[in-house]
Amino acid sequence: MTVLKVNGRKVEISDRGDRTLADALRTDLGLIGARVSCSEGECGSCTILVDGLPQTSCLMLAQQAEGKNITTIEGLADGENLHPIQQAFIEEQGFQCGFCTPGFILSAKAFLEENPNPTADEVSIGMSGNICRCGAYPYIVKAVLRAAELMNAPAQAAE
Amino acid sequence: MVKHDKALNVVGRGLHVKDAVEKVTGTIRYGVDYEVQNMVHGKIVRCPHAHAKIVKIDTSKAEEVPGYIGILTHHDVPQNDWEAAWFNYRGKVLDGIGRFVGDDMAAVAATTPEAAAKAAELVEIEYELLPAVFDMEEARKADAPQIRYEGNERDPYGVAWGDLDAGKAAADVTVDCDIFYESQQYAPLGRNACVAEWMGDRVNVITSSQTPSELRDGIHEALGIPLSKIRVQALPSGSSFGQWWSNNFMIITVLLAKQVGKSAKIELDNEECMSTVKRRHQERTRGSMGCTKDGELTFFDFDHLIDNGGYGFKDDVGFFCVDMWGKNGHGDYSIHGINTNMVTAGCMRGVGDCTLGASVERCADQLAEKVGIDPVDFRIKNQIVSGDELRMQHSRHNLKGQVDEYINNVPEHLRKDWPELFKLSAGGTRALLEKGSEKFNWKDRWKGWAVPTQSEGALRRGIGVGTGAHVCGVEFEGASNSMVRMNPDGSAKVHCAVGRQGAGAETTQAMVVAEELGLTLDQVAIETGDTDSCPWNHGSLASSTMYRTGWASREAARDVKNQLLAIAAREFFDGVDPSELDVDNGEVVHGDPGKHNQRIPFTDVLNELRSDSLGQTSSITGSPRVPMPPSTTFARQFGAQFCEVEVDIETGQIKLIDFLCVQDSGTVVNPQVLKNQIIGAAICGSGFAIYEHMIFDEETGALKNGNLLDYKLLRCADFPHDAEVLFVEDPDPVGPFGARGAGESPIAAGIAAVAQAVYNATGVWVDMPMTPERVVSALKAASAN
Repeated sequence: MTVLKVNGRKVEISDRGDRTLADALRTDLGLIGARVSCSEGECGSCTILVDGLPQTSCLMLAQQAEGKNITTIEGLADGENLHPIQQAFIEEQGFQCGFCTPGFILSAKAFLEENPNPTADEVSIGMSGNICRCGAYPYIVKAVLRAAELMNAPAQAAE
Repeated sequence: MVKHDKALNVVGRGLHVKDAVEKVTGTIRYGVDYEVQNMVHGKIVRCPHAHAKIVKIDTSKAEEVPGYIGILTHHDVPQNDWEAAWFNYRGKVLDGIGRFVGDDMAAVAATTPEAAAKAAELVEIEYELLPAVFDMEEARKADAPQIRYEGNERDPYGVAWGDLDAGKAAADVTVDCDIFYESQQYAPLGRNACVAEWMGDRVNVITSSQTPSELRDGIHEALGIPLSKIRVQALPSGSSFGQWWSNNFMIITVLLAKQVGKSAKIELDNEECMSTVKRRHQERTRGSMGCTKDGELTFFDFDHLIDNGGYGFKDDVGFFCVDMWGKNGHGDYSIHGINTNMVTAGCMRGVGDCTLGASVERCADQLAEKVGIDPVDFRIKNQIVSGDELRMQHSRHNLKGQVDEYINNVPEHLRKDWPELFKLSAGGTRALLEKGSEKFNWKDRWKGWAVPTQSEGALRRGIGVGTGAHVCGVEFEGASNSMVRMNPDGSAKVHCAVGRQGAGAETTQAMVVAEELGLTLDQVAIETGDTDSCPWNHGSLASSTMYRTGWASREAARDVKNQLLAIAAREFFDGVDPSELDVDNGEVVHGDPGKHNQRIPFTDVLNELRSDSLGQTSSITGSPRVPMPPSTTFARQFGAQFCEVEVDIETGQIKLIDFLCVQDSGTVVNPQVLKNQIIGAAICGSGFAIYEHMIFDEETGALKNGNLLDYKLLRCADFPHDAEVLFVEDPDPVGPFGARGAGESPIAAGIAAVAQAVYNATGVWVDMPMTPERVVSALKAASAN
């Protein structure tokens, strides 16, 4: 068995050299928020964070993730309390069908960690690694800007 | 008729969509996420040839794959034709003939997806090759290879009005066009899968679909089993835009499960989604248009071809540009649907509006330039406003019903409140163009036809405006129904089979019901996919969800309300006429509180019902009690969009700089949801205009760019993040609270705006998609002349 650390917990997945991390997350661990669409690293809907950095889990072998900290969309909320980025995506409706949304939110998390006070143009470029076929882009940009606000002033936002 | 006799509490508010938390936490389940115990996995065996007939199938090697369970071939399939909504598919599930590279030929079942894939590869099929045809013009010829038993070409569908010769004689200037449109691919984010489980002679089908009822109909037609034995549970889909309606792979799944005696799941991979299901048609417009020197259109004369691929059976595409430009008194349009040996084509968002509509917009622009009129003014001069005649009056053949028949079947007393038929009931482009040009500062920015607004080095900027129209659903394929049930606790649930593909129907339908019943959105739940609980519905197509289903949902809620008020009048309000009562915030109240000031909670009324010895129910169920007026004869939605582009005349690259969308969909039920949808249309339209096209192999018709690496979609930074949406809300006389349809007019408007902006920047009209190569070669051709 391969041992992975997913969303802060150790988990075991069956050893099979050829399986992707996306497949292991979805099939073995039931983490269906890792959405698979293109399977070639283009669309970004399967984006997860590996040691804090966004990776397309469809192009990564499960065994490559051994010993690394993996965050999926399921690991973002604190119980019932949504992460500010999730909250902001709801407020601005940064989605339509929702298939690409976990990937966008995790990309946004890594992006905001690197650039906590971005301009709209920077967000727009930063979010261009993922595809939203419904075309919610302007609302995704608004959501990420709103998330930055919430994350920079958590006390104020809670009021 | 709609009476806005009180302020709206729910409709008009930008409430968060009901499934927002599920979407941002990744817990929402699409078809691909669904499994049942002990199910097997299926994989479709696909045709490697453009046109071929099966001679022999050898499964001996496939059977050696560990986990192999069985195979479904055409020998096991009832040879019945089935039809998808709006003739997007017509044919047998499997009939031993492959009509395009990638066509469904058989399906194998195995214990794992990997084993199924391997076994499918090892199925050896011997084919007799048949002659193939890929070009629409070739396929029309008498000696062309025949792809279908019905022949390759459908009867032409046409609209004609006035006197074409007189219109031509009256023209001072005319323009001709011959424009070819490549196929756009749905390019879905999110795949689809189908799970089928048989329980005795009943089957349960779980998949992502916008048309649960039509899928149930299709299974019924294909298998010949009663509708009552088929349950479709449609789950939300990823982006769809017409792709995930009822698709052949779903019915293959049903038959495969039956064949192997186990529940089965077939999941399509990305390449299958793009190359074997559906696409937008290839289309070609030839024709001419003319106007007087004052810019009044005098005639339209268009002949339009659409390529249906292997299994599409459409004879029409959106004629709504005919209506929109309908000030013109003489016209003739005909459409020809033609089959080819390429993947099936069907309705993709704005079918016809994006192609024929764009041809008309381009011709109109060319006329406007010839007579020296600004494009905004030319549109205002020639496009209809409410009260004007609609040109689309021609009786439609080949459909399940005809509009005249529909009208005549409705007793006269039920027609007395109908709007005047064959005239536009509300809206139009004029107000959109006026509001939009003011916001966009059009008058100052417009420098004239083919004059860039800015020029620096190789960069040329230009502005453009485009318009689009569409129906708000159609009545021809059946009346879309909705049912509302009020529970003993006063909460309500609406059952309408419209699916969920991101356009927010699960929220906006519930908002309509909440408004009618005086409840909060939270008190109204919804089921959009289960055909066992939802009455028949056309589904989320033809921009019908808010209009036709929203009408039905409101009528169903009204029926619940009437029943509720009748009980309340009898039990709590001294037997007053129920029409004197109303609902407010979960309570029944008297319309005149001075007369009767008590407020009776719904729960008290329902409790009376529960203990009422005259009834046999504890809940109230409501349905529409009157027929909906035939909305194709009067309701349209309109979009006008303005944009600025920057074209690099050396590289041919186009950048979108500025975008403004103005939309008339009547009353806006949820502005947050609708703005998002309108912008999405502008982005999908921009993709059609500058990037997106399917590339087919000339020898085999196979799709060469069936993946998201080679098929380019707009990304976040490719579209201005400050694009805005403005609404003009001309309330509709029939739609729920004055709402109309929305999804398809804005894509057409965006395409036309981008095309015109590129012309104004460069001085050349470029056929779409306006890829860098095409821009450069169009510029070269122009300078060579």
